[in-house]
Amino acid sequence: MSSNLSSKPNHPSSGTRGKVEIQGVSRHYPGAEKPAMLDVNLTIEPGEFVVIVGPSGCGKSTLLSMVAGLAKPDKGQVFLDGKLIKSPGPDRAMVFQEHGLFPWLTVTQNVEFGLKMAGVPPDQRREASRKALDLVHLSEHTEKFIHQLSGGMKQRVAIARCLVMDPAVLLMDEPFAALDAQTRTMLHEQMQELYVEMKKTVIFVTHSVAEAVRLADRIIVMHANPGRVRRDFRLNLPHPRDFDASDVAYYMKTVRKEIDDEVNAHAGASRRVSEGVGSYEI
Amino acid sequence: MKSEKLKRGLLVALVWVLIVAFWEGSYRIIEWKAYVFPAPSHILDSLLNLFGMKTWFGDPVWLVDAAGHSQAFQRDPQWPLHGQDLQVTGSIWNSQLLEAVGISLFRLLIGFSISLVLGLFIGLAMFRFKFIDALLGPVFLGLQTLPSVCWVPLAVLALGINETGILFVTVMGSFFSIAITLRDGLRLTPTIYRSAGLVFGAHGIKFYTQVMLPAGLPALASSLRSGFSFAWRSLMGGELIFVLKQEGVGHLLAVGREFGDVGQVVGVMFIMVLIGMAADRFIFAPLEKKVQSRFGLGG
Ligand SMILES: Nc1ncnc2c1ncn2[C@@H]1O[C@H](COP(=O)(O)OP(=O)(O)OP(=O)(O)O)[C@@H](O)[C@H]1O
Ligand SMILES: [Mg+2]
Repeated sequence: MSSNLSSKPNHPSSGTRGKVEIQGVSRHYPGAEKPAMLDVNLTIEPGEFVVIVGPSGCGKSTLLSMVAGLAKPDKGQVFLDGKLIKSPGPDRAMVFQEHGLFPWLTVTQNVEFGLKMAGVPPDQRREASRKALDLVHLSEHTEKFIHQLSGGMKQRVAIARCLVMDPAVLLMDEPFAALDAQTRTMLHEQMQELYVEMKKTVIFVTHSVAEAVRLADRIIVMHANPGRVRRDFRLNLPHPRDFDASDVAYYMKTVRKEIDDEVNAHAGASRRVSEGVGSYEI
Repeated sequence: MKSEKLKRGLLVALVWVLIVAFWEGSYRIIEWKAYVFPAPSHILDSLLNLFGMKTWFGDPVWLVDAAGHSQAFQRDPQWPLHGQDLQVTGSIWNSQLLEAVGISLFRLLIGFSISLVLGLFIGLAMFRFKFIDALLGPVFLGLQTLPSVCWVPLAVLALGINETGILFVTVMGSFFSIAITLRDGLRLTPTIYRSAGLVFGAHGIKFYTQVMLPAGLPALASSLRSGFSFAWRSLMGGELIFVLKQEGVGHLLAVGREFGDVGQVVGVMFIMVLIGMAADRFIFAPLEKKVQSRFGLGG
């Protein structure tokens, strides 16, 4: 089973859109002791489902907001399909941890927001939002306001809001962290279905290794102080993943051992497993 | 639950009736001086007078003796004047009080609208441009603490004793606070709305109309609410001091003082409170509540 963890790409690039290149990126917030990110290099192929895990404060959100174009690196550059990212754009959409939906708009209006900003005519917007809400199983709740939805429903609206944009890259910052385990499992399943259907590049941030092994083609482990990429695995398992608890436990154990070893090494423990940074094969 | 509420309401009403009865009773027993502090009946009498009605129970505190000299602040020996009916001397709708209320509300509408436009514009500019905030922020914060009647002398000297002067006082008394509350409220709007707006393509003017404005609605609602009460207080202060041909509610207070009609003084104060409360209760509080509930805050 361990052969499923490797450094080879899981599938050949499934599209031409959505290649993200992060080159030598550093970010030092003014006043912070250590850089939030230090010389991070990462190339993400089109259609890859990349999950970034790491302790709090290791720069995961910072990384994501740079790809989104909301923040700029002090040093280095981020490219999308060869173009330098300078600002947010319709080729990237984001699901925020605290959903970030607009409470003054209905579900439909929230989903249509990006299209409206892009000047898409109303009937086309309506059609697109209807489809997207169908995909996330929310067609019953289109006219509700955000505060009338459950946490899981909110996150699904947030996903639908991204889907209508047909972005090249989907950015997700701990999108399911605030949900209960059952809802999370349901959303993992839906996420898999969506991913299989669209094959977009997904960059997904989480604290949870279980979430990572359920979803990822590739797991990036980051470490804090300064924020750096410490590990880069590929998980060669087909989507959608028909995992039961023991499968998850198995992969979690494998992945977690790697992380723990690295933590120990990083903390200066005697057992230095590896100095390797970057792609790693078990 | 409901009967509990009803019961409490009744109890409160009952205690108030007792307080008023005690107040009126002690007034008559102790024979307090009417010009020091009025009894409820004086207040009611003065208010009914202002509504164009004459009552039999009012205590005329302004007496004119046979020689035509005024003997202020003396009790009419025949008071209370029994056997007289309530006389309606004019139409209620043309009464002094309603006319004054109309005049004041009209001034308020104009003054408040001006300070709203100015306040929102400058509040937004202070939020958006650091330089403008650095330039005006501290000044506005300082001026906001200035009691609005302190603008009266300047208004008199600069603009004269006229409608413009009163408008000036009303605007100055409210617009700084509107600008400051709006700026502070906008600063408190969650940054995630801004991020989401940017990510989903809200640029330039659209960013303001489609994201910042609605995200700032709670801030706007509370700024409206406090701005209104500032405007109302400033206007009343202004009217109290400015003497114009068009007499507003504030003038009635001044007139009450001049004639030593303490019933009218307290009665008009009561009316002022009533108008302020009504506006807050029926316009601004529901507005704020509506916005908040849409945002999933509070009820
Ligand atoms: N606006 C900011 N100003 C100053 N420091 C910041 C700012 N945003 C983040 N940081 C710092 O940068 C580091 C990385 O933050 P970031 O939010 O990227 O971490 P994260 O990995 O997303 O953490 P979490 O898992 O808790 O969300 C942290 O040490 C944080 O304190
Ligand atoms: Mg984060």
